[in-house]
Amino acid sequence: MTNEDPRAAHQLHDSKGSVTTDRPWIFRTYSGHSSPAASNALYRSNLGKGQTGLSIAFDLPTQTGYSSDHDLARPEVGKVGVPINSLDDFHVLFDQIPLEQMNTSMTINGTAMWLLALYVALGRERGEDMSKFQGTTQNDIVKEYLARGTYIFPPEASFRLIAEMYEYCLDAIPRWNASNICSYHLQEAGATPAQELAFALANATGMLDVIKERGNVPPERFGELVGRISFFVNSGIRFIEEMCKMRSFTELWDEITQERYGVTDPKQRLFRYGVQVNSLGLTEQQPENNAWRILIETLGVTLSRNARCRALQLPAWNEALSLPRPWDQQWALRLQQILAYETDLLEYPDLFDGSPVITSKVEDLKRQTREELERIRGLGGIRPAVESGYLKSQLVKSMSERMSRINTGEQIIVGVNRWTDAIESPLLGDSAGGIFTVDAEEVRRAVAALDTTRTTRDATRAAAALVALEAAARDGSNLMEPSIECALARVTTGEWSDVLRKVFGEYRPPTGVEGQKLLIDGDRVDAVRKRASEFLERTGHRPRIVVGKPGLDGHSNGAEVIAVAARHCGFDVIYSGIRLTPQEIVQTAVEEAVDIIGISILSGSHLELAEQVMTSLKAAGADRHIPVIFGGIIPKGDHATLTAMGIKRVFTPSDFDLTELMSHVLDIVEENAAVAAG
Amino acid sequence: MSVAEGHLAALVEGACTLQKFPLARLVSVFEDPRPQAIASRAAAIEMLTKAGFGSKAAVLGLTGTPGAGKSTLLGQVALRLLDKRKDSAVAVLAIDPSSQRSGGALLGDRTRVHLPINERRVYFRSQASDRELGGLGRATYPVVRLLERLFDYVFVETVGIGQSEIEVERLADRVYLVMQPMAGDQVQFMKAGIMEVPHVFILNKYDAGESARRSYHALRASIDFARPGEAEPPPILRTSAVTGEGLDALVEDIVTHGTRGVGARARESYFLEKWVHDEYGRFGVGLFEEQGGAEALLGSDRGFEAAQAAYRPPHR
Repeated sequence: MTNEDPRAAHQLHDSKGSVTTDRPWIFRTYSGHSSPAASNALYRSNLGKGQTGLSIAFDLPTQTGYSSDHDLARPEVGKVGVPINSLDDFHVLFDQIPLEQMNTSMTINGTAMWLLALYVALGRERGEDMSKFQGTTQNDIVKEYLARGTYIFPPEASFRLIAEMYEYCLDAIPRWNASNICSYHLQEAGATPAQELAFALANATGMLDVIKERGNVPPERFGELVGRISFFVNSGIRFIEEMCKMRSFTELWDEITQERYGVTDPKQRLFRYGVQVNSLGLTEQQPENNAWRILIETLGVTLSRNARCRALQLPAWNEALSLPRPWDQQWALRLQQILAYETDLLEYPDLFDGSPVITSKVEDLKRQTREELERIRGLGGIRPAVESGYLKSQLVKSMSERMSRINTGEQIIVGVNRWTDAIESPLLGDSAGGIFTVDAEEVRRAVAALDTTRTTRDATRAAAALVALEAAARDGSNLMEPSIECALARVTTGEWSDVLRKVFGEYRPPTGVEGQKLLIDGDRVDAVRKRASEFLERTGHRPRIVVGKPGLDGHSNGAEVIAVAARHCGFDVIYSGIRLTPQEIVQTAVEEAVDIIGISILSGSHLELAEQVMTSLKAAGADRHIPVIFGGIIPKGDHATLTAMGIKRVFTPSDFDLTELMSHVLDIVEENAAVAAG
Repeated sequence: MSVAEGHLAALVEGACTLQKFPLARLVSVFEDPRPQAIASRAAAIEMLTKAGFGSKAAVLGLTGTPGAGKSTLLGQVALRLLDKRKDSAVAVLAIDPSSQRSGGALLGDRTRVHLPINERRVYFRSQASDRELGGLGRATYPVVRLLERLFDYVFVETVGIGQSEIEVERLADRVYLVMQPMAGDQVQFMKAGIMEVPHVFILNKYDAGESARRSYHALRASIDFARPGEAEPPPILRTSAVTGEGLDALVEDIVTHGTRGVGARARESYFLEKWVHDEYGRFGVGLFEEQGGAEALLGSDRGFEAAQAAYRPPHR
């Protein structure tokens, strides 16, 4: 050994030359539900099981800036995450969880500044050292406009809020990631790997350019700021390509930060990223197969050491059926622990350096990415690319193409379009059918706490804090400190957001559905189109459908695909966009004299929203004239309840065959027209 | 007849009080392309006339390229108009293109418009144009004929690409062309070939800073060049749905100048001839002219619907 290099190529060495292994990534589970108290219990239990970071899921009202007792909020409180109305709720949420020792990721965007202000205010009241806080506020507004839908303000104001958080954090909370550039949701919306790369990189540079132009960060510290940019990435089932995507990200980011911003310190050029593996590809059919999919998708972001994620959260195997239960989340956590601690994965240097296959694939992805980046630059950068609808239309197009490939069988999905006969999973056998339900009593308590806060707070201080917030919003000064004072003064989530809505206005981005086409053709499509034409001859109008998304859930991909498919099959489609009240959707249906209402819901609020839709329809005198169908993530156990409420039919992700689906919709339309003609 | 007489009467009665459900169903009768619907429309118009609902509305055309922000602007203007004129009612007819392949259409204008719930004074309706490029559809004029008896202001929103502006001019008492700030390039405005038609130019999204100001001056110059010697050059309104700038000026223009024009008869003739062309082709139009054309068919004051119902194509 003495005259040889003791360092074998297959071993990892530390700075002293001793053989070592890597530390695992941070294990997280995206969670939160019902109430701050219930979520706190869940977090403490998860941390006890070996989870090493928190990933907080907020409910939709908190994400879109409404207090729990607002009309739009009510059906959604506590559904997809925890409701947070004021600092009092944060005290409960983090009870016995020391912030100094925690790495906290908050999936929050439109109201990110508010939630960070609450976090800081909590630290101040508890006397914790803020400079030790670590974590991330997701805070990527571009992907909200494109895919996720919890935006509030127009682009300019939104970019300002993000920039101010970066400027604030640089000194006050230096280890905090003020935002996380998300390519995750772009893949969920249909993005190809090159689109995911290009859109995310354009987004990151767009953000940095804004901060640079504002000039509040001294040039000599800009590298530090660049080093705070982190990413949140998706990992799909084509795991070799996904790994190459991650290597491309790493290489391109190093290049961009060096060339565009002149960052000299290699550490500040590192592509730091967290991952949630793909939910889009998880199936409702034979859901147990998703466990394998999740494992394979995990490999894509862990195998290559040079492009390994910093933090990982896994979806639950039954995500296509409902929100996960604690046991489902525990099972996903165990996968991470087995991979990190039982296998030898963390003992090796990068396994793929020098592979001609991987190098070539990475170069190909980088080439495609540069081309797309060039197009976006040609449009004037990320903001014009969003505002003109270019990015959205590209995503809807990619998604429509994906659906077309699945429909034609070109893209195989086991249990969905191949090998569909199967023995039923015993995992679905428990009394609740293997799904999670929100505790209504806990939700009631969370809403009651809001009343307590309002009645017990110092009203003068709260009012003054809101006045100061508005003044700062108007004069352009940094909104972090005024927001922290609002938090300390027990201002509510709705109040903070309303002030900024008043100053900045609200925004509606392009829907991206106009001009889109599906690539499904053939006899079956022709048959549906023929029926649509016959309907026109029989009734004097084409079958008309309203496609709507009531409530605060902004995941519009499903609704968009249905809208495009309906047009493809010869319907006249009124697409009403997102964030509408059931009353607005019904009014649209009535004014447009449609034959059917199609409603898409993924937030778990289908029962509440169904009731509101049916009540409005009755009030408009149209309940016997316009049938209603629902689609989305709706547990089987609720189908009968919905039918009893008058919903004609419930579609779920298993109804992936768009031609067949539209044919069923047409059945209902025809039947209803026949009854009317009577 | 496509709709039973009693049912039709119920729809007309409901529409007269601007109840949304019967009104919407009645609009569908006016969109019905089948020959048997013609008689229903003639009957409905007769009922409306008897009930004292004559044509009264100012018809306002709002046209412009996709993405110019027409719908958002219209949504806000409609609300301000309702607020300013508390005794009046506003209808919006938004036209979108249809797919030639499937025949279906995606009607997305509503996503940009937030209207109050249960407010009878405002009605929004989307219509497929049956044409890939947009512009007016076959059913646009018939529906306007209905709405102009029930509302005080009828807005027709179309995607404007060349030819369709001419049609909007035929249809509307006042035409507004909505543009967005471009790269300050005069040629862009000229190339569009749409300078002659509008009564008012609207430079929308006038919140985009320097480029918006440059666009304004470029547009001003283009208009002077394209329409020389006009005693009163058309105004350019600068608007922004975000800041609210210019919206009151636009409402003011509508209230002041958006009055029912005198060209109603010419409008009937034009669309009657167009209908004959759509139904019977150029040959049909030739025969129609031999019979005396639209003037003979419309007679003294028969009205468009009754003229359609009375029309008998000659046997060859």
